[in-house]
Amino acid sequence: MAGSALRRLMAEYKQLTLDPPEGIVAGPVSEDNFFEWEALIAGPEGTCFEGGVFPARLVFPPDYPLSPPKMKFTCDMFHPNIFADGRVCISILHAPGDDPLGYELSAERWSPVQSVEKILLSVVSMLAEPNDESGANVDAAIMWRERREEFNSIARRLVRKTLGLAT
Amino acid sequence: MESFKQNDGNRDELIIQQQRDIEKEISDSTPLVGELLPLTCLWTEYNGDDVFTAKIQDLAKKYKFIRRTRPDGNCFFRAFAYSYMEYLISNNSAYKEFQKLAEDSKDKLVELGFPSFTLEDFHETFMEVIRRVSPDNPGGYNKVQNELHKILNEQGYSDYVVVYLRLITSGKLQEEAEFYQNFIEGDFTIEEFRHQEVEPMFKESDHIHIIALCAALGAGVRVEYLDRGEGCIVKAHDFPEGTEPTIYLIYRPGHYDILYPN
Repeated sequence: MAGSALRRLMAEYKQLTLDPPEGIVAGPVSEDNFFEWEALIAGPEGTCFEGGVFPARLVFPPDYPLSPPKMKFTCDMFHPNIFADGRVCISILHAPGDDPLGYELSAERWSPVQSVEKILLSVVSMLAEPNDESGANVDAAIMWRERREEFNSIARRLVRKTLGLAT
Repeated sequence: MESFKQNDGNRDELIIQQQRDIEKEISDSTPLVGELLPLTCLWTEYNGDDVFTAKIQDLAKKYKFIRRTRPDGNCFFRAFAYSYMEYLISNNSAYKEFQKLAEDSKDKLVELGFPSFTLEDFHETFMEVIRRVSPDNPGGYNKVQNELHKILNEQGYSDYVVVYLRLITSGKLQEEAEFYQNFIEGDFTIEEFRHQEVEPMFKESDHIHIIALCAALGAGVRVEYLDRGEGCIVKAHDFPEGTEPTIYLIYRPGHYDILYPN
């Protein structure tokens, strides 16, 4: 089974290298282990995360792509859909039925025809448009909804931090 | 503020993990597709219960054997694949027709909007399995049947076959969305139903899955319903109605196994 997972991950890596989506770089941490990837995600333009480069880890299960990977930001993040420890909480990372936060019916879910690229693109849209209905970080969700300026300034500080600039 | 749910994601993940562990325990103790067993082996499961004893007796007039599948939410698709391919091994012209249909199915799915890149792997594996169970392969029926049994018990191959049948089913629902929308309960759109209930692994099948898959492949399925309902006769249903079945399944609430007619 791990054979087909490996084949698929290698194909996805190749595809992402040949034709990378804008603002996303991703690949295995080391050539010996295709089941752990690092990704760099550029904060979407026109949002409070613009200019930042956010690193994350993806860990793939042995039965990938039947089951989805897990994803975790490895930098400081403050966002309604990211847990305090960096874990990303969006619907495409879950099969239907695995419902930590009761996603909407229409939300995009994991299935074997999804891909790393689809996940990372969803994460970019999540950065641009947080879903404050499913709060992985309740403080961030409340602040995003009620004190947007304060939220934006925290985000801008995180952006500077990812670039190694003084905050 | 009511819509905020204070949530400890770690606890939820523990629950999901526990569910996974239970599933794993079930799967480790049941082969994906089991050996041929006499139908009357069902008696032992119902421990002399009158209703079930009478119904199994009724069923035994028509069927000699049963072959169990793993109860992992994929049982309908796996049972379908096994039973249909078993039929194709003994029917060369139906095999050829199916091989052609399967070959062409990828382009059709891409036309329907499935991503070609991720579809490819499943299609290739599906075609490889079909080649390996060709009635033209040397050794005759028994040898090819053994090969089928072996492949569909190899997790990697077996699950990829299930994925591909799920995609074909989903494609059919999409192709005739207007028709299938009538069968869907609740507020689901066809689109949501496909992504939530058809394409993901381990999601159980309903009539609509059976109807769509049969329609897509031009196959006929007879399902015998063994439950606690009234009477001592087992009710059967043919999909699509009026078609001569080539696949026989037994349904007990929540699970499908394969039947072998006399």
